[in-house]
Amino acid sequence: MKSWFNIAIRNLLKNRRRSLFTVLAIALGFSAVTLFGAFTSYMYAGNREGSIYSSYMGHILIARKGLEDSWREDPKKFLLTPEEIAYITQTCQQMPEILLIAPQMRINGLISDGKTSTIFVAQGIVPAVQDVFARETKLRLMEPYEGKPLSDTDIYGVGISKGLAKILKLDLGSEAVIMGTTVDGQMNAFDVTVSYLFNAPAAAINERFLRVPFQLAQKLYDTDGAHYISLLLKDTNQTEAVRAKLTKIFADAHRDLGMKTWKEISEWYNKVKEMFDMIFFFLFAIVFIIVVMSVINTMSMSVMERTREIGTLRALGLKRLGIIRLFAIESGLLAIGGILGGGLLSFVGWLLVYALEPKWTPPGITARIPLQLYFSTSQIIVSMFFLLILCMSASILPARKAANRNIVDALGHV
Amino acid sequence: MALIDMQDIYKTYRMGETHVQALRGITLSIDAGEFVAVWGPSGSGKSTLLNLIGAIDDPDPSSGSYRLQSQDIFSLSDNHRSEMRNKHIGFIFQQFNLIPVLSAMENVMLPLQIRGVPTAKAREAALQRLEQVELKDFIHHRPDKLSGGQQQRVAIARALITHPSLVIADEPTANLDTKTAMVIVSIMKELNRLEKTTFIFSTHDQRLIDHVDRLIHLEDGCIVEE
Repeated sequence: MKSWFNIAIRNLLKNRRRSLFTVLAIALGFSAVTLFGAFTSYMYAGNREGSIYSSYMGHILIARKGLEDSWREDPKKFLLTPEEIAYITQTCQQMPEILLIAPQMRINGLISDGKTSTIFVAQGIVPAVQDVFARETKLRLMEPYEGKPLSDTDIYGVGISKGLAKILKLDLGSEAVIMGTTVDGQMNAFDVTVSYLFNAPAAAINERFLRVPFQLAQKLYDTDGAHYISLLLKDTNQTEAVRAKLTKIFADAHRDLGMKTWKEISEWYNKVKEMFDMIFFFLFAIVFIIVVMSVINTMSMSVMERTREIGTLRALGLKRLGIIRLFAIESGLLAIGGILGGGLLSFVGWLLVYALEPKWTPPGITARIPLQLYFSTSQIIVSMFFLLILCMSASILPARKAANRNIVDALGHV
Repeated sequence: MALIDMQDIYKTYRMGETHVQALRGITLSIDAGEFVAVWGPSGSGKSTLLNLIGAIDDPDPSSGSYRLQSQDIFSLSDNHRSEMRNKHIGFIFQQFNLIPVLSAMENVMLPLQIRGVPTAKAREAALQRLEQVELKDFIHHRPDKLSGGQQQRVAIARALITHPSLVIADEPTANLDTKTAMVIVSIMKELNRLEKTTFIFSTHDQRLIDHVDRLIHLEDGCIVEE
């Protein structure tokens, strides 16, 4: 085998320029796929972390079954009772995978600055969880805000999205009134103070989003219940396992509780992932078609130039498979050269991004965030493997043609 | 028993609509250890006959049989024929056909490496063969650094490294000057005498014909004289 590698290496070196261009084509293709793969990983991670941490949703939301569909028919019916909240909290506390258990409210109503009124949707969170979410995320773009975070001691201090603040001409420290309907159908209102301004997680809700202390949300709806219990896990990969465990526990206890994971809730994440998966697939396909064509071209030329050599090797007793193996080794070596070169180019690309730290505004997000590249080992290994196999396969076509050629014709080739 | 036993062999080439009969009913028997020349004018079928004897070409389907060491060559699969060539047949070509990226030593080692012989053993055997053809000082030279005569001597060493029972040489001296040609023929003759290897070569060089034990005269695809 060593001698075949020897022949392959020397033949590649004999045609240095041609080999170099093929290696460059492979290297560019590999680095394009690797860098774009790293960008998509970053996008996925950004969206995942945003869905879980920036929005304070956690990995799993537990609610009464039917909450999403039938809330408006009977708001009271779908609220978790204090007994249920206590049961869920107690159950989840026994699971080591769970880091944080916190009740949440989703409320809506009208907000007014005294002159102008507009609708709002709000998330009622326990102020103490903010620190935990901020601490646990790997994201560098954890929702930036101006002002002070929500506080357990000041339940009338609220966070207001910058778009909504602009409409109502509110600033830090401004006062406003929020109005809503209690679970019994009565109107209720509270004076609130703007504690902080933030960019809503999605542009679509930036003109009507509030974040309020959980207690205030309860007071506005005049309830001691909660819409959800949010679970933050130690490891995102455990989401499905925890859900499966809890499903069994709730079913065994005959509890009418349902669960949604962050993936099910985050339509945005799923759509972005689907879109980028598709773009990645097309890029992958285009790059590999170019690489395969380049390798086929190089190998075809090599086969043509070495027809007499192939005839000689066949006459000396090398089997057809041996000829194919010889060319497969050559293209495999080209692929390895390309992968190493591509790896180097990808590293340079990463260094540039790391050093220059370019900022951008992704679709659906209102703030400029730093562009990062998250290299995925599995993706790189899969790309390398595919590239190697494709390059070696690409050589089979011309090599097979050469191997099947009549030996006498090959020997007489000029 | 004869080393080569060929019965009623035909070979026709198709050139577009034209059919050219290169061999017409060749029947031939060659014993082990013979030193045979096939001679005749251009287009008489010398190379075609050698290609068939060397198992690198197929005759017409209507042909008779060809046995090499009692093995029916034309009934063998391509893989078996490759193995047969590697073990029992050595080739010397008019254009030398050395692998340009390999040194003289590596070229000579090649048939053994095709067979899977370990490199050290192949190297030892190659060195011995290169010494025999007096190229010990050129083992690391690549073909483009060797003269025509030296290249052909490397080719002879390569052909003999597997100790084949048969060496086929198609016009081995056609590209060489007279002096070198005579050296090549004397090397082949010496190896034939020492190792009892059967040599069959095609030529139309009268000076070489004087050195052979047996002469097969071909004309228009037929043996006209032996």
